Amino acid sequence: MAALAPARRTRTVGAGVLTAGLLVALVAALTVAVSLGSVDVPAREVWAVVVRHVTNTQDAPGTHDLIVWQLRVPRALLAALVGAGLGLVGTAVQALVRNPLADPYLLGISSGASLGALGAIVLGVGAGGVLGLGVSAAAFGGALGSFALVWLVARRGGGFSPLRLVLSGIAVGQFLGGLCSYLVLQGGDEQRTRGVLFWLMGSLGGATWGQLAVPAVAVALAGIALQARARALNALVLGDETAAGLGVDPDRLRRELFVVTSLLTGVLVAVSGAVGFVGLLVPHLCRLLVGGDHRRLLPLSALTGAVLLTAVDTVARTALDAQELPIGVVTALIGAPVLLFLLDRRLEGNR
Amino acid sequence: MRLALDDLHVALAGRDVVAGVHLVAESGEIAGLIGPNGSGKSTLLRAVYRHLAPRAGRVLLDGRDLTALPRAEAARQLAALPQERGEAFELTVRQMVGLGRLPHQRAFAADSAEDREQTVRALDRVGMGGHAERRFAELSGGERQRVLLARALAQQPEVLVLDEPTNHLDIRHQVELLALLRAQRATTLVALHDLNAAASVCDRLHVLAGGTLVASGPPREVLTADLLAEVFGVRAAVTAHPLTGDPLIAFDHRTPPAA
Repeated sequence: MAALAPARRTRTVGAGVLTAGLLVALVAALTVAVSLGSVDVPAREVWAVVVRHVTNTQDAPGTHDLIVWQLRVPRALLAALVGAGLGLVGTAVQALVRNPLADPYLLGISSGASLGALGAIVLGVGAGGVLGLGVSAAAFGGALGSFALVWLVARRGGGFSPLRLVLSGIAVGQFLGGLCSYLVLQGGDEQRTRGVLFWLMGSLGGATWGQLAVPAVAVALAGIALQARARALNALVLGDETAAGLGVDPDRLRRELFVVTSLLTGVLVAVSGAVGFVGLLVPHLCRLLVGGDHRRLLPLSALTGAVLLTAVDTVARTALDAQELPIGVVTALIGAPVLLFLLDRRLEGNR
Repeated sequence: MRLALDDLHVALAGRDVVAGVHLVAESGEIAGLIGPNGSGKSTLLRAVYRHLAPRAGRVLLDGRDLTALPRAEAARQLAALPQERGEAFELTVRQMVGLGRLPHQRAFAADSAEDREQTVRALDRVGMGGHAERRFAELSGGERQRVLLARALAQQPEVLVLDEPTNHLDIRHQVELLALLRAQRATTLVALHDLNAAASVCDRLHVLAGGTLVASGPPREVLTADLLAEVFGVRAAVTAHPLTGDPLIAFDHRTPPAA
């Protein structure tokens, strides 16, 4: 027998402890998000308002009732939902194309959504506001359009191999991106162009209660659909032959994943614009914490994404006095250095 | 359980890479698949473990058509150790072997006591019981192959299919892995590059050339100087192994193959 190397334990944290910690962090991040702003509302009052509305006892409406319940709570919840969705999509897409550095927007869906939204803004459909329903619907329509396009391009070669999907997604994405740039330049009106750029970089501004239902349902359904396939995802990342030997049909699984991730991405981009980096960073971070088992990775990525985007949106909203930063700007500024730090650590760990 | 290939045709890009193979691995027998590069060994095996769909013909397990079974059911009967070396996105050894339980599990259900027990047992059978919590990515080549064999064993299959399991292993680890394979006493179909290893490990050899079988039988009958010259294009003498008595092929490395 070869001399046994001492069995080094992997650096994985107990999943239960981590989940509990993240739930606490989520509640804390939501509380902070609602309490900070142009007018600071103490945490205790935030919860008083929430309890009053949830239990429907309107006897003594406080001074901050409107700000908390109508403006900040829906926005904080939307941030959490979008973050959770991006965490899920990122994890699934990385397994789908078998690359831990893949981004949910790699497959061209967000470009289609952007084109749809731009078309609506430039044509003046969403005059009611950047987040008007018209723009969201157009963005989702655009997402579906690019999904269909990528599907058709990928299918022409027969199977849905990871490489084929990525190349199809990049080709379609670049093509639609070119159309987007053209539309931005044609926009003319400076005010409108600014609105377009703001949308492209992602924003949760103007979130209302009415906007929460669709992303909530989409995140929940996608989460269930992905969790049901968590073990199969573990097999899929090891390769098609391995998956087939374990009783998983890799092509069929990839088709299912592509549908689920595209629909969810479409919904997320429609309500928030293209928020970058979260879908790339969160699964990566979670993989370092709990390892590569998708049964843990999926729920933890959703939770981590929710915490992260809630916190980032608070920063985007409050960092500058006079105006809001697009959330995509903040995620990129924070995300890029964090990603590099994680990569360095991983390389060291493998040495 | 008896594995039989019945007139198997497998096409890649419209061309039959495997063209009408009949082959039987009797219950508990190790059947070796040998042949030059590009003779269709891997393609044949891929059709057996359902990575590729046959263009025609059948893969039969005790007379039942494997491709007609649901995939999970088929994977409970037959486990594969393919050649691909996928990125193991941060899986531990235990998780890697636990994947072998996949065809036995339902969506959402946690690992059962049976799943955990079979995982541990499979690890012990390949001598990797003490390494369960290590990352798969940090194992040596020999350890990885043993873990992948353990994953196949955790599937509790009746039939094992292995594609060049000793590739890239040093001689010690080759011997170790093949001894493990023999010890399983499962019906086995294994493609091997090393003809001397095939001669001593396999009960029966099947020689593939250009997608068809050109010889089948016990190693002693199949491995002749004439066959080696004809199929592999090399000059060799076949003698008896001084330690085991198995056929031993002594290759002439000086004479280049005839064109």
